[in-house]
Amino acid sequence: MSTSLPSLGYGLGLRSEYYQQILEQSPAVDWFEVISENYLVQGGKALYYLDAIAERYPLVMHGVSLSIGGPHPLDTDYLKQLQQLAARIQPAWISDHLCWSRGSAHQLHDLLPLPYTEESLYHVASRVLQVQDVLQRPLVLENVSSYVRAKADEFTEWEFLNALTHLTGCQLLLDVNNVYVSSRNHGFDAWTFIHNLPPQSIRQLHLAGHMDYGDYVVDTHDHPVCDPVWALYQQTLEHLGPVSTLLERDDHFPPFEDLLSELDKARSLGASALLRRTLCA
Amino acid sequence: MRLTDWQRAFEEHLLAETPVAGTGFAATLLGGPTLDVETGLAIYHNAYLSRLQDVLRQDFGALWYWLGDDEFASLTEAYVRRYPSAHYSLRWLGERFAGFIQEHLVAEQSAPLAELARLEWAFTLAFDAPPGTPLTLDDMARLPPPDWPGLQVNLAPTVQQIFCRFNTVETWRAAKAKSALHAGQPLDAPQVCLVWRDQQICRYRSLEPAQTCALAGMVSTGWCFSELCERLAVSHGEGAPLQAVSWLKQWVQDGLLERRIP
Repeated sequence: MSTSLPSLGYGLGLRSEYYQQILEQSPAVDWFEVISENYLVQGGKALYYLDAIAERYPLVMHGVSLSIGGPHPLDTDYLKQLQQLAARIQPAWISDHLCWSRGSAHQLHDLLPLPYTEESLYHVASRVLQVQDVLQRPLVLENVSSYVRAKADEFTEWEFLNALTHLTGCQLLLDVNNVYVSSRNHGFDAWTFIHNLPPQSIRQLHLAGHMDYGDYVVDTHDHPVCDPVWALYQQTLEHLGPVSTLLERDDHFPPFEDLLSELDKARSLGASALLRRTLCA
Repeated sequence: MRLTDWQRAFEEHLLAETPVAGTGFAATLLGGPTLDVETGLAIYHNAYLSRLQDVLRQDFGALWYWLGDDEFASLTEAYVRRYPSAHYSLRWLGERFAGFIQEHLVAEQSAPLAELARLEWAFTLAFDAPPGTPLTLDDMARLPPPDWPGLQVNLAPTVQQIFCRFNTVETWRAAKAKSALHAGQPLDAPQVCLVWRDQQICRYRSLEPAQTCALAGMVSTGWCFSELCERLAVSHGEGAPLQAVSWLKQWVQDGLLERRIP
């Protein structure tokens, strides 16, 4: 079994802390993922660096504000700005999260979970189709970490993602760390989640760190990737074949060299997983 | 429960003062083997407030330094409860903060704090405003002599003007340097502080009253260069054109002006 989507290789989340080093050192990073909202501005340092980095590296746009499952109408102004940014930097794809981040009254600025029901499925699917019409490309949606789930769930999360890709043709950003976090919090088997996703729809993988409180785990992106997530990542690549892999870091930023070393670790563990896949084929 | 009702209940939980949700909403949820519903909901509730407060700490770092952790936390919590975020980007969260400080605190306390908030917000506006096409000294050198008298200018889009009655600029500088503050001292005479972006760097400068009037005359009232010289003749006599050229050169060097095309 193999994904049909080409891989960009091993990338990093573009963060302002590292702009200057990226331009000065031209590090061996295959691509960068940018947080779309950080660049929906009209000028200044962020756009200056974005343009300079776009000349040297492939970019992917990753949003946090689409609120694809929200109770509000889709924000057409936001979508228009995404389109304009996409025209500027020509991203390989555009992603956001399977969640809602805006309520009926206010912006909530969090990646909130949805009940996995038929009602949610049709609500989200119709909005994904609208977004894809505007952006003129498949939307890539990421599974989020969660800390509660709805009693009303009629699907597992992976069943919901399967159904959504089937209904809309959207693609998936499989966050391996989020699967691990949610599996610990809700008591499901992480591999069952990953193994049951449609391989041909998985466009990208995310790796990140979290805070482990013992009884539960919180997705914080402020630590290196932990061993169980590395193991799950290897198992995922062995199953899927090469998939674009992105290392995220959003707080407690380490020296750039340390982040590059962690990306090298992903590269090396990924290579051995893919070798095993070849040998076992 | 319909999806929209469930989401409204979730939203009410996030915006509530207490991290404990109403029993009705909590009853629609499941926890995990070692994560109960109450703790799960508290994670979302706490993350909502702390994420917004983090943004305000970054955008109003001098105010945070002045007030200290506890007072700043109380003020920002009151702010986000009074004005929950309305824009998809957290970049705009602090837009009403200065106004809120004026509403929320007694006048003697609020005036210098709000002024500092306005100054810090001006930096955020200058930071990512459209660059425009500021006049350069080269542009001025190429300006044909017959065009000089009628030259009119606007402020470049990054330029912000803050009217200061207190030693706000000094307070901001001291806070940035993490040194001792003598905040909230009234100035002998109010001053305008300009904040703008030059290339990718934010800059600031306080103007003396005479220069403030001259700049306002050009960019707000719409004086052309010859009118500026005429106005300055009252105070500077024959030295008026020299003073006008000197200020204009300074403003252009700073990247403050765009040419206004009639």
